[in-house]
Amino acid sequence: MQASFAAAKPASKATAFRAEIAAYAILGAVALLALLGPTLSGLDPMTQSVGGSHAGPGAAHWLGQDHLGRDIFTRLAVGARLTMTVALASTATAILFGAVLGLLAVVAGRWAEWPVFGAFDLVRAMPSILLAMTLLVALGPGVPSVTLAIGIAFAPTFAYVARAAWMRETSAGYVAAANVMGSPPLTTLVRHIAPNILGAIVTQAAIVIPRAITTESVLSFFGIGVSPGTPTWGRMIADAVKYVERAPLAALVPVLALSMVTLAFALLGDRLRLRWDPLRKGIAS
Amino acid sequence: MIRALGIPLLRQIGLICAIVIAVFLLIRVVPGDVVDVMATEGDMTEAEIVELRAELGLDRPVPEQLVLWIRRMAQGDLGMSLRFERPVAQMIEYAIPTTLALAAKSLAIGLILGIGIASAATIWPRGPAAWLVDFVNLWSIAIPTFCVGLAAILIFAIGLGWMKVLGNGFVPALVIGIDIAGQIVKPLHEELKEASAAPYVRAAKARGESPARIVLAHLLPNAAPIAIALSGLILAGLIGGTLTMEVLFGLPGLGTLALQAIQGRDYPVIQAAILLFAVSIVVVNAATDLLQRLLDPRLRR
Repeated sequence: MQASFAAAKPASKATAFRAEIAAYAILGAVALLALLGPTLSGLDPMTQSVGGSHAGPGAAHWLGQDHLGRDIFTRLAVGARLTMTVALASTATAILFGAVLGLLAVVAGRWAEWPVFGAFDLVRAMPSILLAMTLLVALGPGVPSVTLAIGIAFAPTFAYVARAAWMRETSAGYVAAANVMGSPPLTTLVRHIAPNILGAIVTQAAIVIPRAITTESVLSFFGIGVSPGTPTWGRMIADAVKYVERAPLAALVPVLALSMVTLAFALLGDRLRLRWDPLRKGIAS
Repeated sequence: MIRALGIPLLRQIGLICAIVIAVFLLIRVVPGDVVDVMATEGDMTEAEIVELRAELGLDRPVPEQLVLWIRRMAQGDLGMSLRFERPVAQMIEYAIPTTLALAAKSLAIGLILGIGIASAATIWPRGPAAWLVDFVNLWSIAIPTFCVGLAAILIFAIGLGWMKVLGNGFVPALVIGIDIAGQIVKPLHEELKEASAAPYVRAAKARGESPARIVLAHLLPNAAPIAIALSGLILAGLIGGTLTMEVLFGLPGLGTLALQAIQGRDYPVIQAAILLFAVSIVVVNAATDLLQRLLDPRLRR
C-alpha cells in the first residue's frame, strides 16, 4: 500500500488495539473453559438423564440439557478442549509437513525441491474440504485421522510462505556473511534463517487455525470426522440439529462458540500480519 | 504468447493426471471396499460377495484396475456406480445443473455485493459503506458458512415456517455470496483507494467530475485485473460453499453426490467427482490467467 494510505486516522489505532484485547480475552476465556470447565460444573459430559432431556438453563445445568439430557455447559467445555486440540495439532502437523519439509527440500537443492513442491501443488489444487474428506476415507474416522487429514490439506500454505520467506532472507547480508564464514547450509537455515522467518509462520498459523477449526467441524457435522462419542463443537452441532426445535440452545451454544473463536483468531492473525508486515493494512484498522 | 500460455497449461494438465492417479491409489489403500459396505447393509453369502467382486473388477491387481479405468475414461465412459447400478456420467449429468445454478447465483451475489460495497466505500469514505467493508470482511472470516446456513434453516424453516424459502436455492446462494463478498471486498477496496491517488483521478477531479463518476468510470475498469486476480479466493469460496450448502440444504448437486459416494465407498463416483472439481479448477485458473493478460497490457509479452 502506498504511504498516503498507511497514515492512520487517530481513532483506528485504538480500535485495532481494542480488537486485539478482545481477541486475547476470547481466547483466554476458551482456554479457561477448556482447562477448568468440567471441574467448574462438576458434571460428566456423557451422563444422560431421560427426564432432563431438552431442559432449559437452570441452577444445576447452566446452559440447559441436550436431547439425551446431557449438560450442555460441560459438553461445551469438553468440546473446547477437543476442538482446540484438533485445531492446534492439525496446524502443527501442517507446519511440520509444510514449513519444515518444504524448507529442507529447498535447502537440499533442486532435485529435492521439485518433487516435494510438486506434491504441494497437487494438494493445493484440490479444495481443502474435499481433500480432507478423501483422506478421511482412507484413514477412517477418529481424532488422529482428522488431525492428519487437515494437517495435510493445509501443509502447502506453510510451504509456500516458508519458501517465500526463505528466498527473501537468503538475499540478506547476514546469510551471505554466514556462507562466507563457511557455515554449512543446514546450520545457516536452523541458526540464522529460521528465527527470521518464524514471524511469517506464526502469522500463517493464526490464519490456518480458524480454518482448521471450521474444517473439523464441517467434517464432523457431515459425520465423517470424529466419532459420535467425541463431542467436538462440530459434532455437538450435528447431534443437536435434529432436535433444534425443542432444544435450540444445544445447537446455538456450539455455533456461537465456534464463531467467537474463529473471529478471535482472525483478529489476532490480522494484528500479527500487521506487526510482521507493516506495509499491509489490517481488517480491524 | 503461445509459449507463455502453453507451459502453464501443460503443467496444469500434468496436475490433473497426478490428481487422478493419487485419488485412485488413495481410495484403494483403504481396508474394506464397496462390497463390504453392501454386505453389511444387506444379507449376502460368501459366494455372492466373491462373485460381485469379480463382476466389478475389484479382485484384479490395482495397476490393472487403473489402466482399465483410464482406458475407459478416454472413451468417455466414467463407469458404473457401484451402489446404484447407474452410469456415473448420468449421475453427474443430473447433479451438474444444481451445482452450476447454485454457483452462478452465489457468484453473482458475491460480485455485486463485493464490488458494490467497495465502490460505495470509495465514493463515500465516511459513509456506512466504509463500515460495511469491515463488517462483511469480518463476517466471512469469523462465521463458518455452514453455521450461517444452519442459522438460516433454523430461522426461516423452523422459526418462521417458510419452507419455500429454502427450496428455491436463494438462501444458500446468499450465504455463499456474502462469504465471497467478504473475501474480495477488502482487497478490492484497498486497490480502489490506492488507485484514487493516480494522476488521472486528479485530472478527472480537476475537470469537476463527481466522485461516483470517477469511481465507476475511471477506477473500476482499472481495478478489473485485481478482481480477476482474486478469482482464486472466489473459486475456493464457491467450491467449499457449494459443497457444504448442498449437503446442508439437501440440494442434489455434486457436493451431495461426492459426500454420499465417499460415505458409501462408491469409487467410480468419487473419482469422477474429484476429477470434475480438479478440471474445473484448472480451467478457471487458465481462463483467469488469460483474461488477466488480455486486460492488463503490462503482462502481455
